[in-house]
Amino acid sequence: MDDAPADLRTIPLPCRVDENVFARIYEENCGVLVSVAVRKFQVPAGDAEGLAHDVLLSYLRRADEIRDLHHWLIGAICNASRYYWRQRGRNIEQLDTDVAAQRPDPRSRNVLTDLPNSIALEEVLDRMPPRWARILRLRYLEGYAIKELADLEGVTSKYMQKLVAKCIQRAQEIFNGLRDKKDRDQ
Amino acid sequence: MTHSDDVDHLAECSACRQRFAANVVPFDPAARRNREREFTSVGAKLERERDDSSDVVARYLRDTPTEEWSRLAEMPDLRNNAALEQMSEEVRRRLHRKPREALAIANLSASIAESLAPSQYPSVVLAQLRGNAWKDRASTLRYLARYDEALEAAERGEEALAPFASLEHDRAVIRMVKGMILAQQEQFEDAHQILSESRRVFREFGDTKRYIQAGMAQANMLYREDRYNDSSELLQDLLHDAISSDDLEAQARIHNNLGHSASQLGDFASANIHFSEAVAKFTDLGFVAEVPRTAFGAGVLLIGKGQITAGLARLREARQEFTAAGMVDEAGLCALRIVETLIECGEDTAARQLTQDVIDEFTAAGLDARAITAIARLRDAIEVDDATAETVRTVHAFVRDIGTSTAT
Repeated sequence: MDDAPADLRTIPLPCRVDENVFARIYEENCGVLVSVAVRKFQVPAGDAEGLAHDVLLSYLRRADEIRDLHHWLIGAICNASRYYWRQRGRNIEQLDTDVAAQRPDPRSRNVLTDLPNSIALEEVLDRMPPRWARILRLRYLEGYAIKELADLEGVTSKYMQKLVAKCIQRAQEIFNGLRDKKDRDQ
Repeated sequence: MTHSDDVDHLAECSACRQRFAANVVPFDPAARRNREREFTSVGAKLERERDDSSDVVARYLRDTPTEEWSRLAEMPDLRNNAALEQMSEEVRRRLHRKPREALAIANLSASIAESLAPSQYPSVVLAQLRGNAWKDRASTLRYLARYDEALEAAERGEEALAPFASLEHDRAVIRMVKGMILAQQEQFEDAHQILSESRRVFREFGDTKRYIQAGMAQANMLYREDRYNDSSELLQDLLHDAISSDDLEAQARIHNNLGHSASQLGDFASANIHFSEAVAKFTDLGFVAEVPRTAFGAGVLLIGKGQITAGLARLREARQEFTAAGMVDEAGLCALRIVETLIECGEDTAARQLTQDVIDEFTAAGLDARAITAIARLRDAIEVDDATAETVRTVHAFVRDIGTSTAT
């Protein structure tokens, strides 16, 4: 069997790159990298700037071997954001506490009657992909409109509508699974 | 507009990227401008160093005795990113043929990377330099079968990168090497986990070449675990990636490995197709040595599986190609494999004639006299009906060990 080679060759750039090219790369990409870290992973804005900057710096040594710059940079910031939270002992994405504080949970008014439902809901949300859980929280606990959610996530309303439907379907599947497990345990 | 996966979509659609970034204002505009200046100046510096250092490492290595290479760490013109990149390339070039030299260069590289002044590059770039140097050392130690030290080197590389969230790609490269080391140590479970994770990262970065590389390492491991179906399935997936990325070399290697898996599964028709595809692609690439080596490996395997006619055909094809490429020693070793099979089949006359052919070829090429004497004794033993397959194997091992051949 052919063994996989242990390293890959890098091909030098065919011509010298001037500083304007680097400036343009930074200007065109820094904003979107910060946005991905902040919006999709809830990395605090100051730290997101630092992560985006480090991602761009790390690109400089690999520039010669990268075929698709945007794909590489977006992959890099997503991975960097996950690592950021792993370093802080969290494997989940963070809810924006400022946004949550502005819109208190409407269920807390009838806490005694709603508590069992809330517990079940939390169990379901805990088992969902973090971004989907956050969308459901904002939509159904915080009362965000589809348009607001779409703006917040930087996608179209039509896509957000589809995404919310998918989230509900997944939540239902998880809930059914949990209920079956509890029935079996009893 | 399609948004099947919006992160992937963002990578492809500039309009959506702009819209996505539109509402996030810089946290600190002045700090961002400073960072942009740092990025621009570091980018320009790295380019300048590359322009100013062409071939500097090759020159120093050529002009310095190997045993003194470690002293080169003090040379000021080797203490920069461009020189370290060149060292990495020199390691790669020597890895298969001169692994000890590769190790000496990797040690030099690690020594320089670890002693660069913190002010020379931003800390994230310094960490990349260090991680890469340790990765090269880990790779060469793996080739030298010094697995514990290799693992230690890979872990040093991981430590260098650990403080930086942004270096997941660099981390995945080191961890791929670590996975390969663990596979050699037969720690299959850990190796699978690490290689799978590396593949996930490479996929997310759009690094198809390394994705395939890590996948092939995993498929080889499955093969070693006798999980031929799983290996074959993974290789088929990788073949799609190799085809869609027009990576002809990867396609050739994957076909070769699919041939081996199919042989183990008893599907010899499929094995023959894959081996032929591998040979055709290596031929297209002009990989003169890989063409006969592929045929040689296929021949040995098929004979081992009792497919004598198909196996002998592959070995004869390999011998012809070795000869055409001027690789007389490898052609001779290949011939000895054929002789071994012919003796097992009772075809002593053909075996004796082929042995004589090898003696003539080795003599004409001026190869080691001890090898020629050993083969002459084999010919005489066949003549008096005193040679067995074991005799041929002994001569094969002797000739291989005194020569430089890799056709084992």
